[in-house]
Amino acid sequence: MHRRRWLLKLLFRALAHRTGRTALLLAVLAMASSLATALGIVSFSMGKRVAEEVRKYGANLVIIPESARLDVGSGGLNFGAISEPAYLQQRQVEDAMARSGLKAERSFHLRGALHWKNADIMVEGVDFADVRRLFPWWQLKGNWPAAGETVVGNDLATRLGLKLGDTMELAGKAQIVRLRISGIVSSGGEEDGLLFLALPELQQALGLDGQLTLVRLMVTAGGDSLKKSATALQLLLPSAKVNEVRQTARTSEGLLAKVKLLMIMVTAVVLISAGSSVAGTMSTTVLERSKEIGLMKAMGGTRWEVMLIFCGEAALLGILGGLAGYLFGSAIAQFITRTVFSASAEFVPWFAGISLGVSLFLALLGSVGPMISVFRLDPVRSLRGE
Amino acid sequence: MVAVTLSLQLIAWTVIVLVIMRGIPGHRRAVTIGAGIGFALGVAGVLVMYRLLPGRVPLGMIKTALGVSFFFLWTIAVAAIYRSNVRDFPLLRWGWFVDTPLSAWTGAIMAGIVAGSIIACRLPGFDIAAIQLLAFAALALAGALLASAARAVERLLPSLITVTPSALLAAVVALLLFCSSSLLRLDLFSPLSMKVMKGIHDFVHQFMESILIPDHIFIRPAIWGYIGILFGKEVGFWGGMVIWFTPAILVALAIYCEPLPSVAHIRQGAQRRRLLADAIRTQRYRLVIPAVAVVALAAAAYQSSFPSVEYWDPKPLAVTATPAGEILIPKKGEVDLEDGKLHKYLYKRGDKEVRFFVLMTPDGKLTVDLDACAICKPDGYGQAEGTIICYYCKTLIPLDTVGKPGGCNPVPVPFTERADGVHIDGMSLVNNWTRTVQATTRVKEGNK
Amino acid sequence: MAETIIETSGLTRSYGDICALKPLDLVVSEGEWLSVMGHSGSGKSTLLNLVGGLDRPSNGSLRVGGEDLLALSEDGLARFRREFVGIIFQQHHLVPYLTAVENVMLAQYFHSVPDEAEARSALERVGLGHRLKNRPGELSGGEQQRVCIARAIINSPKLLLGDEPTGNLDHSSTVMVMELLKELRAEERFTVVMVTHNQEVAAWGDRTIYLDDGVLVREERMRS
Repeated sequence: MHRRRWLLKLLFRALAHRTGRTALLLAVLAMASSLATALGIVSFSMGKRVAEEVRKYGANLVIIPESARLDVGSGGLNFGAISEPAYLQQRQVEDAMARSGLKAERSFHLRGALHWKNADIMVEGVDFADVRRLFPWWQLKGNWPAAGETVVGNDLATRLGLKLGDTMELAGKAQIVRLRISGIVSSGGEEDGLLFLALPELQQALGLDGQLTLVRLMVTAGGDSLKKSATALQLLLPSAKVNEVRQTARTSEGLLAKVKLLMIMVTAVVLISAGSSVAGTMSTTVLERSKEIGLMKAMGGTRWEVMLIFCGEAALLGILGGLAGYLFGSAIAQFITRTVFSASAEFVPWFAGISLGVSLFLALLGSVGPMISVFRLDPVRSLRGE
Repeated sequence: MVAVTLSLQLIAWTVIVLVIMRGIPGHRRAVTIGAGIGFALGVAGVLVMYRLLPGRVPLGMIKTALGVSFFFLWTIAVAAIYRSNVRDFPLLRWGWFVDTPLSAWTGAIMAGIVAGSIIACRLPGFDIAAIQLLAFAALALAGALLASAARAVERLLPSLITVTPSALLAAVVALLLFCSSSLLRLDLFSPLSMKVMKGIHDFVHQFMESILIPDHIFIRPAIWGYIGILFGKEVGFWGGMVIWFTPAILVALAIYCEPLPSVAHIRQGAQRRRLLADAIRTQRYRLVIPAVAVVALAAAAYQSSFPSVEYWDPKPLAVTATPAGEILIPKKGEVDLEDGKLHKYLYKRGDKEVRFFVLMTPDGKLTVDLDACAICKPDGYGQAEGTIICYYCKTLIPLDTVGKPGGCNPVPVPFTERADGVHIDGMSLVNNWTRTVQATTRVKEGNK
Repeated sequence: MAETIIETSGLTRSYGDICALKPLDLVVSEGEWLSVMGHSGSGKSTLLNLVGGLDRPSNGSLRVGGEDLLALSEDGLARFRREFVGIIFQQHHLVPYLTAVENVMLAQYFHSVPDEAEARSALERVGLGHRLKNRPGELSGGEQQRVCIARAIINSPKLLLGDEPTGNLDHSSTVMVMELLKELRAEERFTVVMVTHNQEVAAWGDRTIYLDDGVLVREERMRS
């Protein structure tokens, strides 16, 4: 009781006596553990962020008519190869989704061609509200269209010399539509070459009421359950094909894995160097204090008791370094995520345990060698100053 | 599985003997012999009961013995903590008893009987009488051998570890409770937390009624929310934990608080300090045994909360009703309704799903019940040896009482039994379920 | 005749080929003050370390206070030192980051439990009541040595060993320290074995033995 308190006092006194060395050791331990903590927190919150991003990059399931062909190639989805027009029934899809009980955001698409000035233009009918929600990366110059308005892809607009506010008269199989261009969209994908109008308008113009060529679904799920959702939906839609779109997810997961590996390697290097510097400092300390150790033994301290004092010092340093490391590491993590990923890092309290563990482990591991020499030190020789 | 729990129990038994031996150091031989005899007696007692009353071993007796010893431990613990501060406690002058041959014999024999009977209950059932006899004899022998092995081990224990009388009691009771916790029917912790839960539930009810607070009018939903918390399973669990661990912790505290010897009269400083240091060290080592007790109690609570018993819990079979709304479950066919096992079914009507089961009680009557009771969340039931268990509150319901309404019994459903099978009215089944589940969820959410 | 506290026979200590202590037979009785003289390398410090349980002999038998030091384990020797022996060194060997009181308390800590009041009164006894909270660096040589004495006697040892305790002190401090030791011995009745090469210091004892090259060459008894 009393004894333990006295031991603690002794440890603090000893540490305070060697301010420089204590500060150095603390700095090394705090640095190592803060790095480990920071990298841990960053990769932890990045993992979450990537999952969010995957969600943001929209559709992870697409439903297409059975006879159409889906090319999941480089650069996204390519629908050039529709051999004969095949359509999905909008009602059927809605019904199937309701029955499957799947929680998903969806957007309906109808692709077709409209005639304008002796040429066919690829057009797509969409629900702009869905598009705004599901494809946040569309960059729009101008405004989102109201009824009777349209949005033109960037490339198409340049090719055809279209400007904001122009009015186009497009002829479909069934009807002619007059559309005012309210915005020009650029997404860096195939959208740049398309003209978009409201789904019902296109369905009327083409005479394809209630028909779709593509449904994009964003299922909020990861890993296995996505596959499961796909199979479940497929069962309910025998006349269509349900495919997974996973490139974005895969690439970002792969990147994350690589970043994590890099982080682990950096951390390992830092830990090893920190550990060896702790070992070096500790053994110098022990060497310097050999007279003190000899004295303690001469006064009747057993080898274990004397070792306990020095281990206690290392552990105390480890604890202090770990706490400092956690605070510092959280700050670093916050900084990294702010500047690099432009997001705020999460506050993860249990990383304090990791930080403490890393620091304690380093401090104790680094002092294994010095502790052995403390244990074996001969009081007679050390007191004589050998 | 049985082998693992059996060996764990036997280890606990060895530790019990060890602790008693350390606690009554003057009478090692008496403790060894007494423990061996007691153990054999306990085993034999269970065998006799098995033989005389097949199928109905009065486990209540063992449970009562355990409960009484736990209560006794509580008394002793409170007395010990009182004494550690006030020094003299007239009710606890047990100096004439502690460390005498009398205490050695009675303590060892009593602990042996309880431990022996608990462990004997763990033995699986045997069809052939001769094998049963052999197994019981082997168990009794093993117990006696372990008791004498404990005597050898005790010599190897560091002499610093000493056992105070209250710590002795705490450790022995805790280890016995640990032994019993692996048997569903002998477990004390789950019933304890259940009692706490029920007690609080009833108290709040009575309280509300007695102060005549009419429902809905004055009390806002938020307050009902808080009252609802009191009805949850967690309250029972944590309340049970407190009652469970307090005596052992009190015993440890009593040791910790015991005043150090007065050393002021010793003139020489070094000698004075040496005495003080030794006293502190002895005191610290005395805490080892209460710590063992706390660990054993924790293990018991764990075993009781996550029992390793496998429940018979078939996947519900989907059934449909005839256009007239009647469900027919044939007696023979895919499943044999009269095999004494739980048979679960799932009935869907519109968006409502009803889980229910059919079971043949030991007295040969079929019963149809909802897979839910009137008071708990509808987590369902599983079947274990001679009982069914409510997954939510871990209450054991004897098979004989299944089909009777009330408490945590599954809610019975009216049905007619004909030669071809069991006929149930789908409509009343759904209504029954809706009523029950709505009532229980309301209580859980505290809206009353 | 008082009881024997140290008894050696054929005590030898050699480091490799060098024999620091040739077979030595020595008997010290309880309460005696023995001075050990000899020039450096004569084996007097080796003898002191052996008697104090800091070192183990190569050969021979060594009994101190009824304890056979050869039979004790390493930890047993440590226990023997803390219960039985107090040592005063020439270089003081005070812990630099602890105050005078705390240095004394360190000895208490290894013995049993620290007791500040007792440590303080021990320092007052050696005349350092006004220097309790000073670190060794702030004390003069004589004061430091008095802290050492307080530390050595705090656990009431039966045997006080001095390894040239006055080697670093001027004449007046030496006299002061020796007077103090004499006083304390009168009160506490411990046995003193003191190594010195100062004839004057040796003269404070009851008996002086002269070692040369590890051999006891001469023994002299003082008039009391």
